[in-house]
Amino acid sequence: MSENHESHHVNYKKIYFTLLGLLVVSVAGPFAGILIVTLITAFGIAIVKANLVIQNFMHLKWEKRLMKWMLTTSLLLMALMFAGTSVDILNHEGRNWVNVAAMAAVERGIEDGEGVAETAEVEVVAAGFNVESMFTVVCATCHGQAGDGTGAAGAALDPRPANFTDPVFWETRDRARIVNVIANGATAVGGSALMVGWSASFTAEQIEEFADYVEEFRPEQ
Amino acid sequence: MAFAKPAATLRSATGIPTGRLAVWWLLASEVVIFGGLLGTYLMFRLGHPEWADAAAHTNTWIGAFNTLVLLTSSFTAVLAHQAAERGDGKTAAKLLVLTIGGALTFLVVKGAEWTIEITAGYTITANGFWSFYYTAAGLHALHVIAGAIIMGIIAADAYRGRELQRVELIGIYWHFVDVVWIFLFPLLYIAK
Ligand code: HEC
Repeated sequence: MSENHESHHVNYKKIYFTLLGLLVVSVAGPFAGILIVTLITAFGIAIVKANLVIQNFMHLKWEKRLMKWMLTTSLLLMALMFAGTSVDILNHEGRNWVNVAAMAAVERGIEDGEGVAETAEVEVVAAGFNVESMFTVVCATCHGQAGDGTGAAGAALDPRPANFTDPVFWETRDRARIVNVIANGATAVGGSALMVGWSASFTAEQIEEFADYVEEFRPEQ
Repeated sequence: MAFAKPAATLRSATGIPTGRLAVWWLLASEVVIFGGLLGTYLMFRLGHPEWADAAAHTNTWIGAFNTLVLLTSSFTAVLAHQAAERGDGKTAAKLLVLTIGGALTFLVVKGAEWTIEITAGYTITANGFWSFYYTAAGLHALHVIAGAIIMGIIAADAYRGRELQRVELIGIYWHFVDVVWIFLFPLLYIAK
């Protein structure tokens, strides 16, 4: 059965210890704290390790060319998929389209899932809360910096984000409702699920601050 | 010529033993399966900087230990192949059993790891990162389980000196499972 295998004098032990050495380097890499070093030690070394295994343990080195073509075809198919879809997935905005869900996910960080919610909250609090900059980062993409509902991501939404500068909006709103919506989402008052609740990311006091900030957009009568 | 065994066992119409050709063919399809999954993960990960917060909760040491376990099991698998080439079925079988031991260790560690994570609230629905984490590692773990079962059957044959060519075939598959993990490790554990 070993017709074309007899001649390999691979020192398997040497390959094995090389692999272990590389593993140590890939774990040690991040300790340098330099991103590029981490990337090289993580992914560069993964490629080297995989190649060592494929060539020496799987004996691809000694296989007929047919086999290599077969695998190359698979890799090309993969590359094709990546090339075809990555532009749409890596970007959240393009000509005439906005991926609102993805943008909102990035903005609110990780707030889904209970265990995770705590860490998100801790991070937001730790970063020092400033309602104005937080409104810019979190809310303005939909509601606009001027609170008029013209944020970049908001343009694609249906219903459009509320316009806080519109007197008609304020005719039917009171303080309790605003606080409720910011904390629990517009679904809490029968509105759209696009306006999600933020109670997982912000404390009750911070939500009050958001409500104050939103009320500042209210036009004088 | 008449064959008492399935053609894949002994024939080599392409110049490559047909059994080995079949295993590589399977692996070529696996490349697309795992490649598609990991490629998709990579795209989403690059598009979602906030996933780094979730990834920070994976335990690099557990991942590194399991990498060590799989590399070692690949080593014993290739030694089993070497023994089978010498016609030494007994040694090959023993080495395969050691390899199965590696597979089981890997699975036990993975089970403990997942238990800790799930009880901490990091479930498959927690967010996109954890969905990929459990899907990719889960699909890989299914391959580990399948490999261990097949290795058990082959080891039992090899011990009696039968079907020694299969030791190489399961080895090739097993190294592939190792290679997938070699990429999963930095993707899920190191890049934070
Ligand atoms: C993903 C886009 C998006 C983001 C981000 C967003 N909103 Fe909204 N918001 C909406 C939409 C859409 C509506 C309209 C909902 C409806 O009409 O049912 C809305 C409505 C509102 C309302 C009025 C609700 C009502 O009917 O009384 C308030 C107040 C509000 N948002 C505050 C905020 C605050 C504060 C933030 C930041 C913490 C924020 N929003 C972030 C999309 C967004």
